[in-house]
Amino acid sequence: MSDTTLGVLLLGFAGLGPDQDHQRSMYEPAFEAHPGFEIVDGDLDDPAVDVVSICVEPDRRADAAIAALQAGKHVLADKPLALTAADAAKVAAVAAETGKVCLPAHHQRFHPMIAAARGAVAGGKVGLPWNVQADFLVAGGTPSPAGELANFAVYPLDVVLALTGLRVRRVYARLTTHWNDGGADDLALLFLTHENGLTSTISVGRTRELADTRPAGLAVHRYRVSGSHGVLDIDASRPAVVLRRGEASSYTTSSGPDGRPRGRLPGWHGPSTVDRLLDELHAAVTAGRPSSPSAADAVHIAEIVDAARTSAASGQPVDLQEGSR
Amino acid sequence: MARHSVIDDTRPLGVVIVGAGFIADHHGAALRASARARLAGIVDVDAGRASAAATAAGGVPWTTDLAEALGRADVDAAIVCTPNVTHEPIALQVAAAGKHLLMEKPLTITVPSARAVADAFDAAGTVVMAAHTHRFYDYARAVNDAIAGGAVGRPVFARFALLGGWIWPDWRAWVLDPAKSGGHALHNGVHLLDLVTWWLRDEPTVVYARGRAQTAAELRIYDYLEMHVEYAGGADAVCEMSRGHRPSTLDRRDVLVAGTDGVLQLPAEGWGSTVVTESGTSLLHPQAANGFAVQLDAFLDAVADPAAERAMTQADGVRAVALGVATELSIERGEPVTLDEVMQGVLA
Ligand SMILES: NC(=O)c1ccc[n+]([C@@H]2O[C@H](COP(=O)([O-])OP(=O)(O)OC[C@H]3O[C@@H](n4cnc5c(N)ncnc54)[C@H](O)[C@@H]3O)[C@@H](O)[C@H]2O)c1
Repeated sequence: MSDTTLGVLLLGFAGLGPDQDHQRSMYEPAFEAHPGFEIVDGDLDDPAVDVVSICVEPDRRADAAIAALQAGKHVLADKPLALTAADAAKVAAVAAETGKVCLPAHHQRFHPMIAAARGAVAGGKVGLPWNVQADFLVAGGTPSPAGELANFAVYPLDVVLALTGLRVRRVYARLTTHWNDGGADDLALLFLTHENGLTSTISVGRTRELADTRPAGLAVHRYRVSGSHGVLDIDASRPAVVLRRGEASSYTTSSGPDGRPRGRLPGWHGPSTVDRLLDELHAAVTAGRPSSPSAADAVHIAEIVDAARTSAASGQPVDLQEGSR
Repeated sequence: MARHSVIDDTRPLGVVIVGAGFIADHHGAALRASARARLAGIVDVDAGRASAAATAAGGVPWTTDLAEALGRADVDAAIVCTPNVTHEPIALQVAAAGKHLLMEKPLTITVPSARAVADAFDAAGTVVMAAHTHRFYDYARAVNDAIAGGAVGRPVFARFALLGGWIWPDWRAWVLDPAKSGGHALHNGVHLLDLVTWWLRDEPTVVYARGRAQTAAELRIYDYLEMHVEYAGGADAVCEMSRGHRPSTLDRRDVLVAGTDGVLQLPAEGWGSTVVTESGTSLLHPQAANGFAVQLDAFLDAVADPAAERAMTQADGVRAVALGVATELSIERGEPVTLDEVMQGVLA
């Protein structure tokens, strides 16, 4: 890695709902700990600012990202990048124009089990992939007032897209509410048909708090990739040290959906998914290349989320436009 | 006080097996192990198969004529193990003869015929039960026991996958001919559709399914099936049935049930022992009760007391057919299909 130090402006401390502040809980500590970044007090005109870490309210996020890119800054954007695909597309267009990095915080693809699996699929270990089954079930924590389709679905969607490299053409979805008294959806089932005829199915949601899972930790996080020549089972609750203790919790020591260990117990050794996200940010900025994931990836995910909402409301599958954006 | 009929009532039930193929052996073994029933004969359209099976069973009578077997006074019931397309006419013949029937799944391959069969047995006052054997396996009962005991609260989401090379050995068999099997949804899909519906204790309303001829373009059935079922109470199930996975030594049974109070899993790698040998890795299944014997007992219970609550009702058999039909239709259309539509507006 280049030893260039990048100045980081923390912009906004908001999220989906009053309790979500990924800037303070995730990005600020990760930037502080990560070599090659230095948090600076400044604004968009400040030449010391290279990167803007954006956690403004989701409905203002796209405009904030566009302003930062147009000011010649690179962007790390909390998820979701925008509330609609149309807004996300505007950001992606400006990122392409300016040639600046616009990295959406889809950090679960950097999970050690998932990163290894991406390599295995690319290496042909399972042959031609034709199906992915995924479960991303968080237990406890504060339900997102925007619903878990808007909040969590980005993560497993990004992982499935990263594993397969195939865009989605058709979406059928079910949105239900089982645990959250507030009424927003807390279980989304996404049935996706991709290019090449690959199909994928994702369950994503937030159950009530469970004694054996740390609060807001992942109770189930897994992917099965089926290919013409084999099957790859990814259990993203690993790697982990399994503990049995005196108290009721026997949960393992892997990290939560925000990439950090929770509670008193340590996480897995080594960089978290957010640390690896910052590795990618630093590498893309210093190499002058687009990041992976890119703003265009966030646009496609926003399209899928939009289509899922339409499908869930109508009870019918929704086709995405060929080569949209 | 002994009555004459008591002797009659307590003699083992005389059962003929119709269709002496692969699965008939499992039913034969269950009958041999039962004190409440005995194998009274074998029927098969193929005389060679009928006689060979009869000889193997210790020389029981055999025939190629079902009517002849059903006409015998010592035959009280039939276990039918013939290809799916023959189920309807055979079932109606058994009903007309006034005998009880344990019918291999699916009950029939269309909804109207399934209803006709259920009605015929209702009219005759005899028992018909579809052999959705998975309900009688230890693993399925363990999951059901946990749900019944409130382990997850009200179940709201179930995943159930059966993937494996054992699902059929012969790729030329009648099973792969949709005209004879009804398609894979009716042939094997019904096992999963019935089981999750039992676990969820709810009525299915909508099916959205996707099918794939994964192994070869020439296949006329879908060797991989994914079936999403929506339930009246708001629950959902995702079932996968696959012979399309590679390698064919793959053997997966994966269950996940999320409920209002918890999450239950029968992890794919957690239900047997892993054996690593020079020729690869395989799964050693745990020792288990014989599901066919447990199923036979449930059938005999229903025959002994038709008024008692049944492990598997006629409506269950009809519903499984409807779910299978909805699955095939949904794949064909690429759209969700309502149970109302396939039940033709009349719920069982
Ligand atoms: N419950 C389970 O787990 C399970 C498993 C496998 C098969 N099955 C079911 O069992 C049934 C039989 O399957 P199989 O694999 O044993 O088939 P099979 O091909 O091995 O055997 C079928 C037998 O039926 C005979 N037959 C065909 N038409 C007949 C007729 N009209 N009258 C009398 N005999 C006739 C054939 O000659 C053959 O001997 C099917 O309905 C299948 O769905 C159930």
